[in-house]
Parts: sequence; C-alpha cells; structure tokens
Amino acid sequence: MISSPRLARWLVERAAGRVHGPALVGDLEEEFYDHILPTRGPTRAVLWYWGQALGSAGPLLLRRRERARSRKSSSQAKGDHMWMFLQDARFSIRAIRKNLAFSVILITTLALGIGANTVLYSVVDGLVLHPFPFPDGDRLVTVGTEYPRLGTGLNFIEHMSPAEFTDIRDEARSLQDIVAWDMGNRQVSFGEMSDNLFTGFWWGDAFQTIGMSPYLGRGMTAEETVRGDAVAVLSHRIWQSRFGADPQIIGKTFGLNGNPYEIVGIMPPRAEFSGMDLWMPMGVGPEVFPRQRRQFQVMARIRDGFSLDQVNAELEGLARRTELEYAREMEEYADWRMTAFTWTDANVQSLKPAAYILLGAVGFVLLLVCSNVASLLLGRSAQRRQEMAVRVAMGANRSRLVRQMLTESVTLSIAGGLLGLGLARLGTNATAEILSTLPFVSGTVELNTRVLLFTAGVSVAAGVLFGLLPALQNSAVSVQGTLKSEGASVTGSRGRLGLQRVLVAVEVALALVLLVGGGLLISSVARLNAVDTGFQPENVMTMRLTLPREDYDAAAVSTFFQTLEEEVSAIPGVVAVGRGDQFPPIAFSFTRVATEGLEVTDEGQLPVVLSTIASPGYFEALGIPFHRGRSFSDLDVEDAPMVAIVNEAAAELLFEGQDPIGKRVRGGVDEDSPWFQVVGVAGNTVNVGPDQPPMAQVFLNHRQVPEWSNQMFLLVRTSVDPYSVVPAIRSTVRGIDADQPVYRIQTAEETLARSTASRRIAATVLSIFAAFALTLAAVGIFAVVSFSVGERTREIGLRMALGAEASQVRRLMIRQALMPVVIGGVVGLGVALLLGRLMGQLLFEVTGTDPVTLLTVTALLATVALVASYLPAMRASRLDPIEALRYD
Amino acid sequence: MGKGKFLGEFEQIVLLGVLRLKGDGYGMSLRREIERRTGRAVSIGAVYATLDRLETKGYVSSHDGESAPVRGGRARRLFQVEPAGTQALQASKDMLNRMWDGIEVDPRTA
Repeated sequence: MISSPRLARWLVERAAGRVHGPALVGDLEEEFYDHILPTRGPTRAVLWYWGQALGSAGPLLLRRRERARSRKSSSQAKGDHMWMFLQDARFSIRAIRKNLAFSVILITTLALGIGANTVLYSVVDGLVLHPFPFPDGDRLVTVGTEYPRLGTGLNFIEHMSPAEFTDIRDEARSLQDIVAWDMGNRQVSFGEMSDNLFTGFWWGDAFQTIGMSPYLGRGMTAEETVRGDAVAVLSHRIWQSRFGADPQIIGKTFGLNGNPYEIVGIMPPRAEFSGMDLWMPMGVGPEVFPRQRRQFQVMARIRDGFSLDQVNAELEGLARRTELEYAREMEEYADWRMTAFTWTDANVQSLKPAAYILLGAVGFVLLLVCSNVASLLLGRSAQRRQEMAVRVAMGANRSRLVRQMLTESVTLSIAGGLLGLGLARLGTNATAEILSTLPFVSGTVELNTRVLLFTAGVSVAAGVLFGLLPALQNSAVSVQGTLKSEGASVTGSRGRLGLQRVLVAVEVALALVLLVGGGLLISSVARLNAVDTGFQPENVMTMRLTLPREDYDAAAVSTFFQTLEEEVSAIPGVVAVGRGDQFPPIAFSFTRVATEGLEVTDEGQLPVVLSTIASPGYFEALGIPFHRGRSFSDLDVEDAPMVAIVNEAAAELLFEGQDPIGKRVRGGVDEDSPWFQVVGVAGNTVNVGPDQPPMAQVFLNHRQVPEWSNQMFLLVRTSVDPYSVVPAIRSTVRGIDADQPVYRIQTAEETLARSTASRRIAATVLSIFAAFALTLAAVGIFAVVSFSVGERTREIGLRMALGAEASQVRRLMIRQALMPVVIGGVVGLGVALLLGRLMGQLLFEVTGTDPVTLLTVTALLATVALVASYLPAMRASRLDPIEALRYD
Repeated sequence: MGKGKFLGEFEQIVLLGVLRLKGDGYGMSLRREIERRTGRAVSIGAVYATLDRLETKGYVSSHDGESAPVRGGRARRLFQVEPAGTQALQASKDMLNRMWDGIEVDPRTA
C-alpha cells in the first residue's frame, strides 16, 4: 500500500510551524488516504500531495513572517531563515538567467571539475574502499604468513598449510568461522560442453564466514566439505554467462573426472574470490596433508569484542608456540610470522598508491576550477557594484549580502554538479569497460549512493569555496561612491585585481604540480616501453593447459606435451613451439639453489632464484638467445643425466664469474634432491617484470622432471597473426584429448602490456588532468590580464599621451601579468618537489626531482602564460590615447 | 490582504466558507468547499495561513476536534466565526454594495 510521501509531509510540517502544523498535516493525511488515493490511484495521489505541499509552503512561510514581525521579534525566527533562503534561491536563478552565457561557461567549467572528481571517487570507492559486498567487511580477515628462512615475504595466497590452518581453527579465540581453501583449474563438463573453471576447494562453510546468503539455493556445510560430498556452488557470473541465469539451476549436475556433482547453490553477485567460478568440497580432511604443504588460504571473522590488533597478538603467540614445537625439524618456522589483514586490505594494497595519487590530482583540478570560477566572478563583479549598492541602500547588511551571493554561487555549483553527474555517468561507464578487461580486479565502478552524496557535498563545498571571495569582496561596497556616476572607485578595483592576481598565482601553482606529475609519469612509461625485454615478444601466442592429476600421471603429462608440441609445430604459420610453467614477465615459482662445491648447510643462506620448467622449444619460441653452451635437446631424456640452463644473472650470482658450464646445482640442501648439470647460459629477460632488473633464473627440462608440473603455458611463435593459429591449436589439442580445454589465450606482447597497465592508466589520467589544468590556467591568466587592461585604460591612455610607445605599454602589461605567474610557478615547483617523493612507487628510472621534466614543464607553462597575456597586452598597446583618456 | 479593519478578498472567501460549514469546518473541508464553489484551486497552506490571520484578528476561533488513526493521531482543528467576524464581513459587503450602487456592467463593452 502506498503511503503518503514523507518528504512532502516534512516540508509542510516545517513550513507550518507548531501552531497549525499538526492539524494541517492531519488534514492532508486524512484527505490523502480517504479521498484522493481511492479515487485517483497511487501516482496521482502522490502528485496531488506534492502539489499541496509545494503550493502551501509559500503562504505558510509568509504568514509566519508576518507573525514574527508583529511580535517584533528578531528576524532570526526559523520561518524567516527558510523564507530568506527561498528568496535568495529565486534571485540566484534570475541572476543566472540574466547572464546566461557567462553562467553557462561557469557551469560547464564546474561540471568538468566536479564530474572528474565524481568519476575518480567512484573508482576509488568501487575498487579500493568497498570492492566487496560482504557485510561488516572490516571484520572479515585473511591470514598471511611469512617465512624468512625460505626467503618469502608476507603472502596470503598459497602460503598456508592445512596443519597451520587447523592450529588457528582450534586455538584462536579471537576468530570464528575459520575456513580454508585451495584453488586450481578443473575441467568440468555440462552435458556436451566442457569448460575449464577456476575452482576453490573448501574446508568449512564459507557463507557463514562472509556473512552472506547464497543468491539461490544453499552453501556447503562443513561436514560436506570434509566428507567430499558431490555438491558444488557456482559463481553468479558463471551462472549468468554460461547458464543464462537459469532459475532451475539448483539440482542440476555437472561432471568432473567422470563423476557427477550436484549444483546446490549460486553465489551472490559480486562476491569475488580471486576469480573463482566454482566452489567445491575439499574432499579430505586437513590431517592427510603434510605440515609443509603450503598451498592454501585462510579466511575468518573477528569474534565480537575483539579487535584486529588483538587477533594479530594472538596469532603472534600461536606462531611462537608452533616455532617452539616444530622449528627443529622444520627450519622454516624459525622467526616465521602470521599476520591478519582485512580481506579488502589484502586485495587492494597494490592499488592504493595509484588511487591516492589520482585522488589528490583530481582534488587539485577541482581547486583549480574553483580558483578560475572565483577569478571570473571577481571580474564580473564590476558590473554588479550598482546592484550591491542599491541593496545596501535598501537595508541589507553585509552578512545578508554575503549570504545572498553565496546562495548564488552554491546554486551555480549545484547546477554544475548536476551537469557533472551526467558527464560522470559517461566516465564511469567507460572506466567500467576498461576495468572489465583487467584480470582479478574486484569491485564495480558505479554511481552509487556514496558517490552521489560525495558529488553533492563537493558541489556545495565548491560553491562556498569559490563564492566566498567574490561575495566578501562585492559586499564591501561604499554606497555613496557607487551610486554617483563615479563608478570606477579606485580602491575597490585595486583590491579586486589584487585578489585576481593571487588566484592566478594559485592556478599556476596547481597547474604546475599537475604538469610535473603527468610529465614524470609519462617519462616513466616511455622508459618502461624502451626497456630491452631480452626476448622477442612479437608474434608469440601463449595459452595455458592444466592436465588433471587424476587422469595424467607424470609420464602421461610428458607424452601429452611432447605430442602437442610436435603436432603444433606442423601447423602452417608456426615457426617454433615450446612450453614453460612461467614466462616473462610472469613469475611465481622460486627456489633456493645450492651450488656444488659451495658447502652450505643452512638452507636459509642459499640464494633464491626463479626456477622455470621448460622444454627445448621454449627459448626458440620466445626468442631468448644463448650466450654459452647449448639449449635443451632431444638427448636430455628421462634416464639421461639431469641438465639445467641458467641465465646470465644466475651465472653471476651462483658462480661468481666462473664458467658455469659443467658445474652442478640443486634445489635446497636435502641430500636426496638431485643434482643438475649446467649445459648452457641463456640471455637475461625481464623475467620479474619490465620495471625490475632480471632475476637469476634456472631452467629445467620438463621431460626430465614431468612430475614437478602439470600446468604449462604453451608458447607458439608464428610468422602470421598469432590469433589466426589459435583454432588450429585448439583442434590439435582436442585431437589428443577431447576433454582438455585450452585457456588464458593471450599474446606475449599483451601479457607484457598488462604488467604495466596500472602505470599507463595513471599516466594517461594524470596527463588529461594536466592538460585541462593548463587550459584553465591559461584562460585564467587571459581573463585577469584582460580585466586589468580594462581597469587601467585611462592610465594607459595617460601614459601614451605622455609619450610612451606601444611596445613599452605592451611590455609593461606583460611584465605585470607574469608577476603572479612567476610567484605561482615557484610555489608550484616547491610543492611538486615535495609531492614527487610520494609518487616514488609509480615512477620508473625517474626521480621525483627529475630536472629534465621540471625544466620542460616550466618552459611549457611559461610559454602558455606569455601567449595568454600577449593578446590583451596587444590590445592595450593599440588603444587610441584620446579614447582611452575619456574611458569611464 | 486586508488593510487594518477591512477584509481582503480571500479572507472574505474563507470567512464565508467557515460560515457555510456551520462550525464543522476544518482546513481541508473548507478548501474543498472553496474549490467547489469558486472553481479556484487553493492550497491547504493558503487556507490555514488565512485562518490564522483571521484568528489573530479575532474574527474566527478554533478548537480541537477528534483525532483519528488515518490522521496519524493528529486532531482536527475546527473553526467557527466570531461576532467580530460577522461584523467585518457585513462591513465589507456593504462597502462593495455602495461602490456597486447605480452601476451596471456589460461584459461586452468596456
């Protein structure tokens, strides 16, 4: 049942006051429910209510004012305030309409500034502040571990073992609903189609932990996850894209390794966990795994009454107890740590620096916009002097005038905000599009309630900010001087001009900071692009295959990939084929390596290297050159001596300049682990990303250690467009194993580009801001110089009549115009130098004080300032002295 | 609005409405009556503002009527005309009549 509109009711109540308010509202309610609603229907009834409310406000407020006047009370009565505000608002709208062109310029400028802020805030809100829909998100934590002896830093992904999980589950009193999961790709078949889904295997009821109910159906109980019942939960995204949001999905089955599993639930939308599309039970209890099998993740809720600090204190105690008990047999426990972070923090850490920098930058843009608008308003105020004087003569005191003008500026800025929202809608849509192409970015970018509130707040604040100065300036009016025809009161305009100059200086400073930031980022991106990758990423297609361990033992894995490489190399357009468990810039597999001859007993002292399992074709497919020795060959088979290849960096690190060929290495200090003989030295590549120096790397031949990896990237160098060979590769794979899907299909170039994506995006956005800032500053300078020429026309006429040359006049105007620019520039440089340090992480091979950037940017700004002031200065020098002297 | 002792046009209409409703008149019923009889769309706020004015001048008085759940528990405010009000009405009527005296208007001519 429709109820009467609360807002309208509130409005009428406030307007009517205590005396008649209740009776009036009662009348409205009675009429609404008993007569209007039944006869006119809900929509028209609500419209009627609003019509009554809005139509009543005026007369009621008028009456209250009368009462207040007759009571001879001060005009501070509540009704008065509202009345004044309504009146001011009406005046504002009239004033805006009178100066339509000017107002449109202001509103558009404001719209751009506010719109940009809204877009950026929606990005920060959606990706960094609230990327997940979990209620009480700051009580949802994940636990990361750090093993100094293994050389690993703090990590949350694949860093915890089942035993460590059960230790927390059984002993931590500050946490509850502790669950753990493992992730992997699984191929599942739905009827005829098969798909590779990123799957999570769970211990415990995760829905309880995240505090949400499934969108459909139910979750898995803790017992089911340990028993391994044939149940599963799908992600909302997959349910929509693969199953067309079929409402009958619950109870349907899919196949995994030939076994049927029943779909019992669908995740709520946007409940993202590292991109997992399928949730399944772990199937076995945690006790079956060895204590050192660290490939799991843990999540929990902080128990009521405990804080995150207390959780971490308890985890620290637990870590030390574990160390005491196990450190002798398991050295990694020495000095190990467990730390809990909120799930949001753990996922967005990497985004925070870029996000905050961009937020700061867009704030600068808004300040710039406000300065610009304030400056323009100050320039306008010459024409309003008469109006102000009349108002003062009619009894308005200064605070009333200021209030009136502030209402005007806030109205302007709200209009700008509304237009800005429209622009922001375009911006957020475009941003959401771009983000959907980046993997593992959780959260949605949208104009939600928080963002709208932000925009409203920013609009009002901006209105007050830019309106205050002109309001104060305009209201300081001397009535007599203005009402006489001696309009040009020297002191008034001097003050105004001075203020405008200050604003110009502010704008120049802000523009300079943004320009420096943009310039530094552009420089970084350019240098990143120029980095020698060490291999040839052009025309290389990559894709990933995971062979399920249940179907493929080590030998079968090896055979599969052998056959695959042979058959793919026969495809027309294919130049070379190889495989590897990682390739530049993807790096996630590291080992500690011992060199034969260097006696080290403590594994913690061994150097850490990138360890890659590859095939002979790996190097040719990627175009990695060999500097010494040879690549893997067909002689390096299963029973042959174990071989390894190192890169230049590893040769340096492990062998200290000696020739590594013939020497032997192995992983760790375990007596049973095999030795590998180095047979070749490959060139360095950007194996840990283009912004890092190449890391020492050791390559092993997959054929000799097939049991160490069942997940490989297939690397295919082509002489034609890489995407054109994909269908042929797919059918080759199907020919070997009809159920084996191929996924993550991307060229090597694209993979490289993705790793620099965030920097490039930041650079682009900041450059746009900087360009906008430069334009605004130029407009501001132009406006102020024009204004000053106008104000000083008589003075210029006088000078010229006394013999000054046109060029002298020009130089005078330009010199005076550039004064605030120089001051602003110096201040801006200072601020830029300070802030440059904050950008540290985003910069590459460029310091925050890079002189080239600073000089370039300053020169650019100076040129723009000169051009902007030249035109009005020209105008000044062209004045006819006689006309100028007569100018009023 | 009326200057001093004289009633303005709307004040007269409202007063007449209160008279018509014979002491049962409250805000909304008055509004309905005025709209029905004059064909003039009037907001409830305008009616109340005028009633308040009239009450201050002593031409009407009011008291609380019944409340009802549909009114959110708020009581109705019932209005009735005071003697001073009827006098003012009569005075206004007389004044108008005296101005009309001897005048015939033909809407077709000026």
